[in-house]
Amino acid sequence: MQLLIYILKRILQSIPLLIIVSLISFFIIRLSPVDPLAELKLNPSVSKETLQKETERLGLDKPIIVQYGKWAKSFLKGDLGITSNGEKVSTKLKERIPNTLLLAVVVIFMTWLVGVPLGVLAALNRKSPLDRILTVLTSIGMAIPSFFFAVLLLLFAVKTGWFPVGGLTSSNFAEMPFGAKLLDLAHHLVLPVTVLFTISLAGLQRQMRANLLDVLDSDYVKFAKAKGLSDFKVVYKHALRNAINPMITLLGFEFAGLLSGAALTEYVFQYPGLGRLILEAVLRSDINLVMASLMMGSIMLIVGNLIADILLIITDPRIRVKGGAA
Amino acid sequence: MKKWVYVILVLLFCAFVLKACVHKDNPASYPPQIRPKSDIERVEYPPQAKTVSINGVDFLQSQAPVGSFGGELRTSTIGEGPKTFNPFNSKDNISSIMSGVMYDGLLSTDPETGEPIPKLAKSLEVKGNDYIVHLRRGVKWSDGKEITADDVVFTWKDIIFAGFGNTSTRDSLIIDGKLPSVTKIDKYTVKFTTVQPFAPFVRMLSTEIAPKHVFEPAVKKGKDYFYTFLSTNTDPKDFVTSGAFRLKEYVPAQRVVFERNPNYYIINKNNEKLPYLDRLIYFIVGDLNNEVLKFEGGEIDVIGLQGANVARFKEREAHSDYRIYNLGPNTGTMFLTMNLNDRKNKDGKYYVNPMKQKWFQDVNFRLACDYAMDRKNMVLNIANGLGEPLYTAESLNSIFLNRKLEPYQRDLEKAKEYLRKSGFYWDKKGHLLDRQGNHVEFDLFTNAGNTEREAIGVMVKQDLEDLGMKVNFKPVEFNTLVNRLLNTLDWDMAIMGLTGSPLEPNGGKNVWMSDGTLHMFNQRQEEDRESRRYDWEKQIDEAYVKGALATNFEERKRYYDEYQRIAYEQKPFIYIYSPIIITAIRTKFKNVFPSALAGITYNLEEIYIDNDKDNNTKNRKK
Repeated sequence: MQLLIYILKRILQSIPLLIIVSLISFFIIRLSPVDPLAELKLNPSVSKETLQKETERLGLDKPIIVQYGKWAKSFLKGDLGITSNGEKVSTKLKERIPNTLLLAVVVIFMTWLVGVPLGVLAALNRKSPLDRILTVLTSIGMAIPSFFFAVLLLLFAVKTGWFPVGGLTSSNFAEMPFGAKLLDLAHHLVLPVTVLFTISLAGLQRQMRANLLDVLDSDYVKFAKAKGLSDFKVVYKHALRNAINPMITLLGFEFAGLLSGAALTEYVFQYPGLGRLILEAVLRSDINLVMASLMMGSIMLIVGNLIADILLIITDPRIRVKGGAA
Repeated sequence: MKKWVYVILVLLFCAFVLKACVHKDNPASYPPQIRPKSDIERVEYPPQAKTVSINGVDFLQSQAPVGSFGGELRTSTIGEGPKTFNPFNSKDNISSIMSGVMYDGLLSTDPETGEPIPKLAKSLEVKGNDYIVHLRRGVKWSDGKEITADDVVFTWKDIIFAGFGNTSTRDSLIIDGKLPSVTKIDKYTVKFTTVQPFAPFVRMLSTEIAPKHVFEPAVKKGKDYFYTFLSTNTDPKDFVTSGAFRLKEYVPAQRVVFERNPNYYIINKNNEKLPYLDRLIYFIVGDLNNEVLKFEGGEIDVIGLQGANVARFKEREAHSDYRIYNLGPNTGTMFLTMNLNDRKNKDGKYYVNPMKQKWFQDVNFRLACDYAMDRKNMVLNIANGLGEPLYTAESLNSIFLNRKLEPYQRDLEKAKEYLRKSGFYWDKKGHLLDRQGNHVEFDLFTNAGNTEREAIGVMVKQDLEDLGMKVNFKPVEFNTLVNRLLNTLDWDMAIMGLTGSPLEPNGGKNVWMSDGTLHMFNQRQEEDRESRRYDWEKQIDEAYVKGALATNFEERKRYYDEYQRIAYEQKPFIYIYSPIIITAIRTKFKNVFPSALAGITYNLEEIYIDNDKDNNTKNRKK
C-alpha cells in the first residue's frame, strides 16, 4: 500500500518536470538558426509556391508559442504528429525501437553477466596479479573512445571480410529460414556489441570492485569473519547483498540510456537504431521527431529511476523500514 | 626497479601505436595533376533502341549486346534514404532516383547527344504548340493492366496540373497564368497544347506516368492524403509500376530492394523481356567513408569516388575486380558571388553598406577579383586535380555551353589595371583603397562543415589579399548562410555552389531571372519586385524569356549563348571550378556505357552480369 502511494507521488512529481523539459527543448530547437527548409530553398528547381506550401504545412508561419501549444495538445492526446517528410512519427519510432532495444539489451545483459563476477573476483583477490591484469584491461577499455574503437573494428571487418560492414541484416534476410535469420542478426551484432560491451564493462567492473571492497572493509564483515562464518557465506550472503545496492541505482540510469545511449556507435556501424534517427532529425530540425524522442528519453529516465528505487526498497530492508516509519 | 620495467613497457607500447600514425602521415606518393581531357572515356554506344511490334505489342528493342539473365546489382545512397516513393511528391534527389527506377516517363534522354528519345511513348510529333504523343500498344503495368492514353491524361491533368504533390513542374509551365492543355485523341494518342511555343516542355515529357487505377482513389481523397500516398511505409505489394523494377522491400536506414518487373516493355535483340538483373539493391549509408568501406568489403558494386580515394583506387585497379570511369565534369558549379543589392530594407537602411556597394556594383572591381582567382591552383590543391576550371554559367557538360567564351589564367597585373581604371589605389603598405580613400575590406561567407567550400574560401581570401584587399573569411552554419543570402541580405561576398541541368538551361531561371527565388547576387524581396534592374539583368531576363519560347535548338542556343556571354562579361558569379565525376563499377557487369550526361547506371535494364572470369580480366585496362 505504502509502496503504491510512493509510486503515485513520484509520478505526480515528474509531471512538472516533463513540462519543463518539453518547453526548454521545444524553444531551443525552434530558436536555433536551423531552417528545416534551407535545403529546399537552395534547389533551383523548387518553385516559390512549393516553398510557401511547405512553410504552411509545417506550421512555420505561426509564432513559436502557438506551435508549442499545437504540439503539446496533440502530444497529450497521444498523437506524436508527422515528420517533416510526412511520415507518422510513431511509425518511424516503431521501426527503430526494436533494433535499438535489441542492441541495448544484449549489451546490458552481457556486461552484467561478465562485469559483476569480474568485479567480485577482483575485489576478493585484491592486489593479486589477476586484479592487476583486470585493472589494466579495464583501464584500456575506459580509455578507448567508442567512436575510434568502432572505426577500428570496421576497418578490421573490411580487411578480414569476417564481419559485415555495418547494417543489421543481409540483403536476402527476408528469404532466410528462421535459424539463418538469427545467425545473420548475431553476425551483424558482433562488432557493435563488442564496442559497447568493452566500454561499459570497464565501468561496471570497477564499480563492483570498489563497492565490494568497501563492504569487505566494514565492521560487520569483520565481525562475521571473527564469528567463524565461512568465507563463502560472509561474501555471498552478507557482503555482496550490501555491495549490490549502488549497482541497482546504476541500472536505473542504464535503462534511461537504453534507447538513446549508443548514437555514435550506431552511426559508425550504420546501425538502423534510434540514435541515428534522432541525430538526422536534429540536423534537419524535424521538430516532431526530435520532441518525441526527447520526451521518450525523459520518460525513460524517470521510469528507470523509479524502478531502481522500487528495487532498492525490495532489496534493502533499511529503506523499507525508514519508509514504513514515515 | 620494477617501476622502470613498467615505464619502459608503457613507452614501448606508445611507440608502437604511434608508429602506425607515422606511416599513415607519409605524403601521398601520387602528386595531384590536372587530368588531360583525353582521359575521359570514349565509349562506343550501341545504336539507339527501336520499336519492334510482336503480336500487336509495340516493344522497345534495346540494341545493346545480348547478355545473360540473373544476379543483382548493389549500389548505395548517402543520407537518410528515400523520403517517399511517390514520383510526384519527391523533392530530394534520392527519392527521385527511387521513383525513377519504378516509373518510366514518355520520353527519356539520349545518353550521348542529350536529345529526347522515346521511352513509354512510341513517337512524338511536334506541330507548333501541339505535342502529339503516340503510345505503345499492348504495353502493361506490372499488375498486367494496359498502359493507355487515360493514364497519361490522368497524370498530367489530375495530378500535375491540379497541383498535387511537388508543384514545381506545374509552376514552371504556367505562362501568362495559363497551363498547357492535354487531351486524349484515342486509346493510344494524347495531344498536349502549350499556350505559346515553349521549348522546355519536351524535356518535361520525361516526367513519370502514374497508373490511373492506382492513383485515382488517392487523388479523390485530396491533397493532404496524396502527400502521404505511396510513402515509405507503403506495402511493397501496392506498387504498380511501369519501370524496369518494382519495389520488393524497404528496410528503414538499411536498404531498398527492387525486383525485376516481369511486364517490362524493353526487350533485347533475341526478343526476351528485360531487365537482365533479378534485383537492384540500394544500401542506405550514413556517410562517404562508410560507402567506401562497403565497396572495399565487396558489399556494393558501384561507387562514386572523390578526392584522395581516386588515387588509391586507381593504384589498385589493375589487380582488382573493378574498373574506374571518368565521366567528366559534373553539373555542379562552384562560385564566388557579390551582393549587388542597391536597395534599402524596411527600416530604411541599405542592405549593403553604400561604401561597399560602390565596389561590388563596379564591373571593373568584379573583373579584378575574377582575374585574381587562381583556379588551377584550387583544382590541384582542393579537388586533388579532379576538377575543371570553370568560366561559364552553364556547366561544362551542358549541351548549351557557349564554347566561344575563352578560359584564361590568373593575371594579377590585369586585375590591378582594372582596379586602377576605377580609381582604386594602394598605400605604401600595399593596402587597397578606393577613390574616397576607404580601405577595401569585406566579409566572405560560406557554409561551415563543407570542407571543400571552406578550402576554396581560404584560397580565395589569399588570392584577393594579393590585390591588397582585406578579406574576413567567415564560414557560418548552412542555414544561417541561406537565411543571409535569401532573407536578411546582409552579406558582402559568398562562396556557394549550385547544380543545374546539362540539358535544359531554363531550370536556371530561378537563379538568373531578376525576380527569381535564387537570384542571389541581387535578391529581390516581395516588396522590391518592381525595383530598378541593371541593364545587363534586363538583357539576361530577355534572353531567358526568348530562349524558353524559341523552339528549335539553334535558335535557343543563340539566346542562351547570349546570357552566358553577359554573365561572363559582368561576373555576378565568379565561377571557380566543376568537380569531375569518377565512378568505379565491378568488371563483371557488362553493357556499361558511362556517359557524362546520364551517369553510369542509367541503362539498368541492359546491364547484365558476366560470370565468366576470363572475360572480366580481358576487359580490364592494361
